[in-house]
Amino acid sequence: MTRPDRPPLAELTDAIGRVLLGKEHAVRLALACLLARGHLLIEDLPGVGKSTLAEALARSFGLEFRRVSFTSDLLPADLTGVNVFEPAEARFRFRPGPLFSQVLLADEINRASPRTQSALLEAMAAGRVSVDGTSHPLPEPFLVIATQNGLDQGGTAPLPESQLDRFLMRLNLGFPPREAERALLAGEGTSSEALGQRLSPADLLALQERCSHQHVSPALLDYVLDLLARSREPGRAGLPLSPRAGLGLLAAARAWSLIEGRNHVIPDDVQAVAAAVCEHRLDGGQPGATAGERSSALLAGVDGLR
Amino acid sequence: MAVLQLVGAGLQAALLPDLAPSLLQGATVLTALAGLLALEVGEGPDWRSLLHRSVSVLLAALPMALVLLLLVPRLGPFAALPGLEGGAALTGLNDNLDPGGIAALADDPGPAARVSFPAGGGPPPENQRYWRVLVHDRFDGRQWLAAPGARRDGAALNAAPAAGEPGSLQELWLSEPSGLTTVHWSGSGRPVGEALRQDGRGELRLRAPSGQRRMYAIAAAAGAENGLWRRLPPRPLDLQLAPGRNPRLEALAADWARLPAPQQRLAAAEAWFRSQGFRYTRSPGTLPEQAPLDAFLFEQRAGFCGHFAGAFSALMRQAGVPARVVSGYRGGTWVTAIGGGSYLDLRRSDAHAWSEVWLPDRGWLRVDPSAWVAAGAAPAPSLAGAGALGWLQRQWWGVDLAWSRLWLGFDRRSQEALLERLLGERRELVGALVLALVALGLAAGLSLLGWLGRRGGSDPLRRELERSLALLARQGLAPAPGETLPRFLARVQGQRPALAEDLAALAEAYGTARFAPPRSGSNAADLRELRRRRLGRQLRHRNARTGNGAGHAGQASEPTD
Repeated sequence: MTRPDRPPLAELTDAIGRVLLGKEHAVRLALACLLARGHLLIEDLPGVGKSTLAEALARSFGLEFRRVSFTSDLLPADLTGVNVFEPAEARFRFRPGPLFSQVLLADEINRASPRTQSALLEAMAAGRVSVDGTSHPLPEPFLVIATQNGLDQGGTAPLPESQLDRFLMRLNLGFPPREAERALLAGEGTSSEALGQRLSPADLLALQERCSHQHVSPALLDYVLDLLARSREPGRAGLPLSPRAGLGLLAAARAWSLIEGRNHVIPDDVQAVAAAVCEHRLDGGQPGATAGERSSALLAGVDGLR
Repeated sequence: MAVLQLVGAGLQAALLPDLAPSLLQGATVLTALAGLLALEVGEGPDWRSLLHRSVSVLLAALPMALVLLLLVPRLGPFAALPGLEGGAALTGLNDNLDPGGIAALADDPGPAARVSFPAGGGPPPENQRYWRVLVHDRFDGRQWLAAPGARRDGAALNAAPAAGEPGSLQELWLSEPSGLTTVHWSGSGRPVGEALRQDGRGELRLRAPSGQRRMYAIAAAAGAENGLWRRLPPRPLDLQLAPGRNPRLEALAADWARLPAPQQRLAAAEAWFRSQGFRYTRSPGTLPEQAPLDAFLFEQRAGFCGHFAGAFSALMRQAGVPARVVSGYRGGTWVTAIGGGSYLDLRRSDAHAWSEVWLPDRGWLRVDPSAWVAAGAAPAPSLAGAGALGWLQRQWWGVDLAWSRLWLGFDRRSQEALLERLLGERRELVGALVLALVALGLAAGLSLLGWLGRRGGSDPLRRELERSLALLARQGLAPAPGETLPRFLARVQGQRPALAEDLAALAEAYGTARFAPPRSGSNAADLRELRRRRLGRQLRHRNARTGNGAGHAGQASEPTD
């Protein structure tokens, strides 16, 4: 749908799309996740552009970006930072870890010990880190993009359902279509370095604020409630959706409607984000993505006309 | 709860089948159901949708009600209804006719009876409109009393008609509750059915006092049978007197008694009444205990129908002519109602009393002495006022009459006849039939409810949308499970490119009305917009346009309404 008054975000998605060729939908979803103040889990093979996406998102908003490779010997303190003794001042000073960045790429999160995983996830949920009884707030736009390799499960600690619920979305990037890959091979794409800053962190905060004020009519609320109720009906395949899932679905739909350039949410927005928001909650994080089967079955079970 | 309420309303309707109470009950049930629904649904007081729902519930109950009305045995009238046993107070007629005790007649406009003449033609001529109810044949010097019980020699009157065929109906009565055991009729013909018996005095008697509105018919009777009671000879009671109570009256009648023929005595009495300058008044004052009729005839000389009829009958008896007093109604208003058929309306203020005298060669003859009184015989002025209000009132009575007939007409006998036609001799199947029909009625009601619910329930926007969707469904275009409206319409657009503009307009209008933040225009404006965008109208309009070869003309030719 092209209209003369294109929303400002359309240009942004186009620009990121030029970095990550053939992945427009995934790019939009990742952007929606950022706008909805959620965190993103990307589950895919290595080399399909997970880091590129994270980097492009961070760069386009001018956000501080860090990358941590999760290994089995990574300790919570390695993430959060530690208090170190300053002999000159004769006291302890907090040295923040890589968690104190605006966009954190947590690579292969399932390789770390459960203890380290939960430290990260607690920080994601609370927006603050406690070290030695002192609480340190995390920077304001804060997005965690975690990746995990869905196929190679040797020596990994898969995220339990309760932790999965903390990720607003799970994306599968997948292989690019042939045409996009041809362009990639021919070197026609933009590198993430060349993308440059499009908007400021303050813009992002304003967009996040605007996002939470997108109008939701009672009819749409009923639609979301019907979806939740449907997922909880006994005898259905998959886990029931939690109230947090409902909040996440609504927040993501709001962000999607903003990206679409509307001031209100319609069922189409909910359906657009449903697979990304609901699938990992419905299948309990099983390895080998179900390609959105469960969420599409859920959508088909509820009247979408409203 | 709702079922109990409906049963209660049904019972009440059975007791008070008049139109106005029935309408009121309908309204009561409707609002009460809406209240119950509000409790159950727990929604805000959106009265329109609540009323809408209760109307659908009532509609769903209709098939069931019809089955019950047709097949479940009718309850007999509850004879012991308190409040309706008040007797004379209800009609202005009383077993005891004591005009001397009444200072003034009250104008009671209440309805007494309505009669229509199914044989065709209008009402009888003005001077023949005497509707008898009670016969008073016992005289105590002041009052005229109705002898208790039926006259024994009336048995022959009620013999089965010789031909076995009832004649054509000539009067159809609807009489209001009166507390009397006798009801109105003209005196000719024979009552239809077992509930009414003719009495030897020319009364139509019921088995018990009439505590209910009642419908009955009078059929034409052939030759000798017609008005047989008029030829039943007088008994000693019809000459019974109260000697010494009214000496001047006795002296006057003694003069007439010397005339040889009863005809001549009658003529003399008429001449005397006409010459004495009597005056008709509705408020004559009471008469003294001593010689009351003397006081009326020779001093007061003013009174109403009861005075004249009573005094005249007493004079006739004194003169040796058997006589009695009849009370009933006279006149009535001929009403031509729209739709309901024409009828003669009798009000309580039309009550009247007259005399009957026995002439050996003519039988019992009606004599109305009030008519001899100059300018006085006119009954009370019609109380149904002139002008628009009166017209409205008469129309209401007409509709009420039609309703009452519909309701009262379907009695036990009609029910029996229906069963007879349905089942013939196999009456043992009645139970099965009732059960089957009740089940059918329930099923019909439930499916009606379901159908009403599927049409978008109480949500007007969704209902409006369903109308458009139904139109597409007829062309085999239905939304896939879970499909949203814009996506579905986009799919339709792919298959019907000609509709593109209308589909987009519909999607836009519905989406805005449904999901956009509310504007100052509110819901009503949204609904209007959606109606304007309704697909059916657009489709028809488009067909017409393409039929004219005008092609696609865009927004400019939007239907204006």
